[in-house]
Amino acid sequence: MATKPDSIVGCSNIKMSRRTFSKLTAIGTAAALGGIGLSKYDHTIDKLIEQASATTSSGVNHIKTICSHCALGCGLLGKVENGVLTGIEPWEDHPINAGSLCSKGAAIREIVNSETRLKYPMKKSGGKWHRISWEEALDEIAAKMKDIKATDGPDSIFYLGSAKVTNEECYLFRKFAAFNGTNNVDHQARICHSTTVAGMANTWSFGAMTNSWNDMRHSKLIFFCGENAAASHPVAMQHILEGKARGAKFIVADPRFTKSAALADMYVRFRPGTDIPFIWGICNEIVKNNWHDTDFIEKRTYGFDQWWDVVKDYTPEVVEDITWVKADTIRELAYEWAHTSPACICWAMGATQHTVGTNNIRSFACLELLTGNVGKSGGGCNAFRGHDNVQGATDMCVLSHWLPSYYGLTEGSWKHWVGVWNEHAPITYDNMKAEFAEYNGKSLMHVPGLTVSRWYEGVLDSSVAQPKPVKMVFVWGHSLNSITEMKRMKEAMEKVDLVVGIDPHATVASSLADRPDGIIVLPASTVFEKDGSVSNSARQVQWRNRLIDPLYESKSDYWIMKELATRLGFGPHFTYNSPEDVLREINRGANVIMMRESPERIKRQQEHSSDFSIEDCQAKSGPCKGEYWGLPWPCWNDEHPGTPLLYRNDIPIAEGGSEFRTRFRGKDSTAGNPVSDDGISMLGAGYAHPEGYDEMNSDGTPGSGWKYDLDSDWKGIIAENKCPSGAGKARFMAWNLPDPIPVHREPIETPRPDLIDKYPTYDDVDDHFRVKCLFKTIQDERKNLVDTYPIILSSGRQVEHMGGGAETRSCKYLVELQPENYVEINPGLASEIGARHWDYVWVETLRGRIKVRAYVTERVNRETAFIPYHWAGWMEGKSYEDRYPSGTAELALGDSVNIICVDGYDRSTNMQETKACLCKIYKV
Amino acid sequence: MRFVIDVGKCIDCGGCWVACKDINDVETGIERIRIVTLNEGKTGEKSVPIQCFHCDHPACMLVCPQEAITKRDDGIVLVNQDKCVGCRYCLWACPYGTPQFKKMGSVMEKCTYCVERIDSGLRPACGGFCATKAIFVGKSASEADAKASSIGAARVKGPTNPDAAYKGVTL
Repeated sequence: MATKPDSIVGCSNIKMSRRTFSKLTAIGTAAALGGIGLSKYDHTIDKLIEQASATTSSGVNHIKTICSHCALGCGLLGKVENGVLTGIEPWEDHPINAGSLCSKGAAIREIVNSETRLKYPMKKSGGKWHRISWEEALDEIAAKMKDIKATDGPDSIFYLGSAKVTNEECYLFRKFAAFNGTNNVDHQARICHSTTVAGMANTWSFGAMTNSWNDMRHSKLIFFCGENAAASHPVAMQHILEGKARGAKFIVADPRFTKSAALADMYVRFRPGTDIPFIWGICNEIVKNNWHDTDFIEKRTYGFDQWWDVVKDYTPEVVEDITWVKADTIRELAYEWAHTSPACICWAMGATQHTVGTNNIRSFACLELLTGNVGKSGGGCNAFRGHDNVQGATDMCVLSHWLPSYYGLTEGSWKHWVGVWNEHAPITYDNMKAEFAEYNGKSLMHVPGLTVSRWYEGVLDSSVAQPKPVKMVFVWGHSLNSITEMKRMKEAMEKVDLVVGIDPHATVASSLADRPDGIIVLPASTVFEKDGSVSNSARQVQWRNRLIDPLYESKSDYWIMKELATRLGFGPHFTYNSPEDVLREINRGANVIMMRESPERIKRQQEHSSDFSIEDCQAKSGPCKGEYWGLPWPCWNDEHPGTPLLYRNDIPIAEGGSEFRTRFRGKDSTAGNPVSDDGISMLGAGYAHPEGYDEMNSDGTPGSGWKYDLDSDWKGIIAENKCPSGAGKARFMAWNLPDPIPVHREPIETPRPDLIDKYPTYDDVDDHFRVKCLFKTIQDERKNLVDTYPIILSSGRQVEHMGGGAETRSCKYLVELQPENYVEINPGLASEIGARHWDYVWVETLRGRIKVRAYVTERVNRETAFIPYHWAGWMEGKSYEDRYPSGTAELALGDSVNIICVDGYDRSTNMQETKACLCKIYKV
Repeated sequence: MRFVIDVGKCIDCGGCWVACKDINDVETGIERIRIVTLNEGKTGEKSVPIQCFHCDHPACMLVCPQEAITKRDDGIVLVNQDKCVGCRYCLWACPYGTPQFKKMGSVMEKCTYCVERIDSGLRPACGGFCATKAIFVGKSASEADAKASSIGAARVKGPTNPDAAYKGVTL
């Protein structure tokens, strides 16, 4: 389990310390804490004890709450004694995890009580960190914001938001950027599943996981392509292995023999960056044998013929040459896909983080359409989202190209939301418009902003498509070491006027930039120190109860936002009585996903969790009878049970049925008659309405009114067995995308230069989310890179760490399990470079080199190397621990793989490529 | 029998390991439960959780010169750290390498079966939190026996008669 258990003593970069807080109530005195290395924080210990004794609820309470790590949404009980979190216990009747937790979930008590948390606001000046008051910090930040907005314009501030805060805070964060007059706001989803959203939404309406975690218990084929749930979503394996025990075939396709592959019935190794030909090979064989679901294709899809015109060329033999996968294996997989139903396909970053990420996901969705598996229990496209609330943050659209609930940046969308906001405090569309700058004669209100993946180019690139470059950045709940091109980012962070880091930990936001001043870090409370709702990957909305009051001087992200808003002159728009009130505002306006899950209903579900079945997450008795856990959206009204399976149209909408939307409307479409660009009707067979029907207004007439009507409960329409968003077709051919039908394109840095001419990457793009993006130029420049950098480098997850790792690398248990960063290399390569297990090696790419341990293993083949991405605190072999505020550096530091990952980005969403670049490895 | 482990479900996530550490306040460097990986990175890879088997005939107890190791009526084997002098005879005797020592001269520690939890009706940490339900720890011997027969787990064979059953690997 541990990388090298006996190495712990020899690790020079780890500081171990005794646990303190769990013993606090048992010991009960400050004196007892002496001598265990905490004297430097005396005042905060006093504060904690003061809090503990001041709390009104004495004794032990077990409080239901939701884990803060991955997007499964596992429940747990926080054991709170006199206001202090002293332990956790299993929430045994939670319908998703039934009490189970992985190593990170089990470490929550230690993580919340971490000694390395940021304890009070700090400012760097004169080369040193100084403690400042909240008042001083907020005044200075607000003054700087006003100053930059006045001199450089609102787009010169970038708001890097978070998937690790509540839905309410995500929503308010997007609103906060709007009130500050910019779309330069984005969050982790850009670099985790933006291509999933673009790929699926462009195929069949919504970009979310179609089915649920529990639903995989009913699959007959569970197909992983670029997903390692054993490491990234451990508790999901409970359902997958249950499905397997009931007879499902579990197949893992991955460049690396993962811990998930270890439990699979079949493992297929393929070359990083060749997902599309791999999937097309399977599809090619299915169609050639006439195994595809012609009835489903006929009734519910568009563009099959055009699609086949492309896919017919990807024969198993052609595919073998590109992907490493034998033609016979492709044929075997095609047979399985065609003869095993229901079948689901599951993926995560392995598929999304590519220059062709959107196309990868499109290919998966097309395979599901071809075999008629979408819209079925046990089938579907299961995108395993990463952070605990990344689905919620995506739904709330902390994104530079959408407003909450996937409304575009059109005038109609803005008017919709301004209308909702106006109900809370007065604001008009014209007021809002006046906050935005213009560029090239167009209001930037309607232009997508910079993205997380390339925000730093907004600082460094003087040709950035906005009035002035970025001068100030908020790093608000985001680990910067999860973003590629870290050296460019470091340069940008040294160039801006002010960096503001807001997080429970100081993180890389405090330490990456080598500058004497111009950094302020604010201690945000952890998710266990505030109330709010979170949405897991399966669109299930759960209420997360606060366990304890914020430790130290930490404050909730909501409070920080409200204080800044007040100083900036729009405080009333951010002043709410409770998170419940914010959720009600979301419920009111979020029509596109119809997120009408009221706080009362989701809290009632929490109370009656034992009534819900682990088989389908439905309540079989009690006051919630008939409801699905978390009321997965769309949840049309206060009586709707939620929609557990998207696009399932063999049951009424009122019971959780769903249709493909009539979202795709070619130029000649009219209300009631959506057609493709080539004039084909986009109406698809619906439940009880085989002729299909268009989206509608609240009175049932055709139109897009369902997206904008704030007051309808849709009950009349649903009673007619109609879905207000229409019954349309999914698309094999997405005419609006750069590649309407995905084709293979070699990665920017490829080990197969001979394939570049036939399968080139895209042409360069001048304005890709406001900055220039090179594709073909750099692929051509690096055509023969493989001669000097012969190994394919891929990055990914460790089960013990999460995201950028600030929390988990601050937890002594998790650090004991995974103390240092490493590169997995094959024994053959290790022998060639003379490296033994756990020797230090350099991994070098065109971007730079990092120093990591050599983990010699057959998980990877001779051509590939793998590095976990959770690490930070070193830059090219040198620790920058001394740049953190004293006592806030994580317990374990290491070099970041994102220093060396490639500068390639998805053509549709600007997703970063992390899975396929070229490197060389040599001993230190 | 108490421990029933389905190796076909263990994903080596470390949930048991961390839960054990946190609930029992286990020091850095001590592992009361380990997950041993066989054939890493190859077909046939297995992750096997192993902790003290609370044997019917504990070799550790037999050899302890201090009589620091005892077996309760319900089968739980415990070490009295006040009596232990750190001689490590138990480590020599245990066929499974269970006894843990922080450093030379330290007293022995090992899995206690979360005895305080068992005594207050709670499930031990490793089985209570296991991500995939690979580890089942009975609150009683009969509960575990029933689980073992329902999944077809075989009791570990050995002269000490370990009180654990595994499915998917022969120990």
